[in-house]
Amino acid sequence: MAKPLDLLQGTLDMLILKAVSLGPLHGYGVLLRIEQISGNRLEIQQGSLYPALYRLEHQGLIASEWGESENKRKAKYYRLTAAGRRQLQTETESWNRMADVIAGILGTSAEEV
Amino acid sequence: MRTYSRLRGWLLAVFNRTRMEDDMDAEMRAHMEAYTRDLMRKGLSSDEALRRSRLEFGSIETAKDGCRESSGLRFWDELGADIRFGARMLRKNPGFTAVAVLTLALAIGANSAIFSVVNAVLLRPLPFADSDKLMMVWATDSRRGVSQDVASYPDFLDWRAQSKSFAGLAAFRNATLIVSGGTESELARGLRVSPGFFEILKVQPSLGRSFRAGEEELGSSQVAILSDGFWKRHFGGALDAVGKTIRLTAMQDQQAETYTIVGVMPEDFRFSTDEAEDIYIPLVGDPNRNHGWLPVIGRLRSNVPTLQAQAELDLIGQQLAKQYPKSNRDTGVNVQPMLEALVGKLRAALMIFVGVVAAVLLIGCSNVANLMLARSAVRRKELAVRAAIGASRGRLMRQLLTESVLLALFGGALALLLAAWISHGLVALLGKNFSIPRIANTHIDPWVLAFTLALSVTTGIVFGVVPAMTSAAHDLNDDLREASRGATGSTRVRRWRWLLVVGETALALVLLACAGLLLQGLMALRGTSPGFDRSNLLTVNLSLPKSKFEQLDSRVSYMSALLSRIQALPEIGSAALVADLPLGGSQDSLAFHIIGQPEPTTGKGFRVAEFNIASPGYFHTMEIPMLSGREFGSEDTASTPRVAVINKTAARRFWPDEDPVGKQIWSEQDPITKQPIPLTIVGVAGDVRQTGLGRPSRAEIYLDYLQPVPDWYWSVLVVRTASDPMRLADAVKNAASSVDPDVPLQQMRSMEEVLSTSIARERVSTLLLGIFAALALALAAIGLYGVVSYSVAQRTTEMGVRMALGATRADVLRLVLSQGLRLGLSGLLIGLVSAAMVTRLLTHLMENVHPYDPIALSVVSAGLMAVVLFASYVPARRATRINPISALRHE
Repeated sequence: MAKPLDLLQGTLDMLILKAVSLGPLHGYGVLLRIEQISGNRLEIQQGSLYPALYRLEHQGLIASEWGESENKRKAKYYRLTAAGRRQLQTETESWNRMADVIAGILGTSAEEV
Repeated sequence: MRTYSRLRGWLLAVFNRTRMEDDMDAEMRAHMEAYTRDLMRKGLSSDEALRRSRLEFGSIETAKDGCRESSGLRFWDELGADIRFGARMLRKNPGFTAVAVLTLALAIGANSAIFSVVNAVLLRPLPFADSDKLMMVWATDSRRGVSQDVASYPDFLDWRAQSKSFAGLAAFRNATLIVSGGTESELARGLRVSPGFFEILKVQPSLGRSFRAGEEELGSSQVAILSDGFWKRHFGGALDAVGKTIRLTAMQDQQAETYTIVGVMPEDFRFSTDEAEDIYIPLVGDPNRNHGWLPVIGRLRSNVPTLQAQAELDLIGQQLAKQYPKSNRDTGVNVQPMLEALVGKLRAALMIFVGVVAAVLLIGCSNVANLMLARSAVRRKELAVRAAIGASRGRLMRQLLTESVLLALFGGALALLLAAWISHGLVALLGKNFSIPRIANTHIDPWVLAFTLALSVTTGIVFGVVPAMTSAAHDLNDDLREASRGATGSTRVRRWRWLLVVGETALALVLLACAGLLLQGLMALRGTSPGFDRSNLLTVNLSLPKSKFEQLDSRVSYMSALLSRIQALPEIGSAALVADLPLGGSQDSLAFHIIGQPEPTTGKGFRVAEFNIASPGYFHTMEIPMLSGREFGSEDTASTPRVAVINKTAARRFWPDEDPVGKQIWSEQDPITKQPIPLTIVGVAGDVRQTGLGRPSRAEIYLDYLQPVPDWYWSVLVVRTASDPMRLADAVKNAASSVDPDVPLQQMRSMEEVLSTSIARERVSTLLLGIFAALALALAAIGLYGVVSYSVAQRTTEMGVRMALGATRADVLRLVLSQGLRLGLSGLLIGLVSAAMVTRLLTHLMENVHPYDPIALSVVSAGLMAVVLFASYVPARRATRINPISALRHE
């Protein structure tokens, strides 16, 4: 297994939005979901997850409520709001455009210039 | 949505912080437990799993701090810390805090008090439902240049019938009523209203009904609605009062009539703002289109703007002018919001006081700003340390502004107490001396509270921003190095302090100039001779019921009996009657012709003078000099030729080159023969200030009460006494009542009081402006003193060096004094220029003020400079006492 990648600056918010867009999750669940989707190729600083969650909630992109976890414990569940859905869409689009451009630049060989 | 969630975050932060902290804690602990469990499931021992999870999660506290910041709570936490720190700083400097809070409390309190009056008088809506739709509908007269004239009854009917903009129009008219029955007759305040009046105001009687259409017709108009107060006083609040009758005499009526009570108005209802009405009766019209006598109110339909109603009534007015050219050729219609009609004229005067207290507040602000600038030098090290460990400039400014707003809020809290007290005094002072509508409604209400809070916060920012800017902008290096030595204060700070002092001195001079000019005007008024001897004169208002005194004989016998009874009292010199008391304000004009002189070719074809009615002995009693001829006497009776006395101005105007005594004029024709009734001029009296001390006398003709005269039912009894007139008030009252108990007596006043009331507006304006100007001057003096003494303290070493090098004490004194005087002079000059721009407004407070009077302006300038000199002399003296040795050692 290759060494997990550090998260690119500013992408954590986008990943959280994506994770909760698939269904409501508690904080630890968000972490597990991202690791699971990425096939454990991403390393997320666990403590840094929460400021990001609170920031997104403060911005109205996700909403939270207390519920019960799978092992019958009290847990705070986050879900995507309508504003969060729109935000995720625009961020996904601009990320894809950016990735294309960057890939295009990095893929350029000497002859093509 | 986003705004909402942010707001919720803040509210949570402020009001439910504990819960949020608990949630955060629970959430992260649950995370770590779950992770630990997962690690153990992978085979780690419980200790190892716990260790790993702690390691990988990192510090819970750091994570929490990150959460707080990203929820926007950081700002509030910092604010809380700033407030706590600011409060500690204020507590640590009780002297500074006390001076600053007191200054601000005085300045803000004055503003809140004036605002409470402005709010009650100008800003609050009228106490009727949808009052913004209530209008006054006036007649206009382009020939006389009048835009708020009373309307004639036929015009009112035409407006009402033709206009579609109004849901209703109604006319009204004040009426003094005599309520008879029982042993004493009582005067009551009546209001004649046309049907629909109460509906327009959207008020219904609490008992019975309101007037019906048709009740304005003679014959069916003997119905009355009582005010709640009158009902409770006279009927004890009995429900069966409706249906009972009451005997009323309206002044214009011939005799008492029986009215049936049909309704009682609710307790809080009153139409007039000055004095509540007692009784409402229907208005009976007068078909004469030439007779303007009615104010008209109307309620606009809900979707009609004022301008549209105005346009419609303009058209109606033009049609009426065409239709009735004789009476309506020059008339039109003017629609004006009712509130504007009521208080519009007061706006200028009240706004002057708003400006005055705002200036006082600005002066207070610059004083406190100066204090804070002085203190900021002491705090430079603290700020430099804060900056060195990472506080940004904005963050430092925020901290300093929080402190100054905190200070202002303390000032504002104290100001509320002061404002309650000041506004109480203002209402008593203003309410007693002039009739300002609605002033009695002045209270410290939520509006005043909100105003004070907003003003305090603004004030805190205004006086805090300069110190905060200069303090936060220091060069860190310099500050840390210099802080250990006695700070010398940067040039920038010094320049700001000078600017503030010059500014406040200029403002103080503007207020002083205004107060000085008013005082000069008031003294000029007081120095004006009214034209008679005002000491030891008692005045009493009488109203003669028309029913009883319609016949001249009955009047003559009553008046003669009254005067002789009064004159028989001990300690009384003489007594007389007059229709319009001098300085009383009111005056009526009389059109007349001079027999033997051609009619004037310009104007209306007759001459006009003011007229008054006097009994024999009036000029003697008042000590108005007779310049030629005689005054009315016992030889003038109903059967002898009619006589008149004219004043000096009339003599000069109408008989410039001859003696008017013996000349004849006429103003009435005999109703039967159509022959003019001649009036022989028997005397010329000295001029009297009839309408006010500040207004020059006009041509005046006096008629004799004991001969046929118009409008005799109002009269004032004047009594010359040997000593203090008010001591004899009861004796005079009893004597007058014993002559005829049916004649109501009102308002016993000394002539001194009449005179003082006639200039009450001027006195009160001068007093108020004087108080505020004195406050401004005191604050400016404190400010100047502060700046000069601070600079002396800073220059201690320099003074020591100068003295060591041979400067005398006089040199040092001159040095310091000249600094203060330079600041004072700059303020004076700027102040004079500014004053010249605003003093013209003072004519709203006093008609005869001279806005650019050089004497008054010189006196206040000299006064200001004297205060400046004193405020700089005290620190200058201190500078001369510096001991050069210790000053140098101080270094």
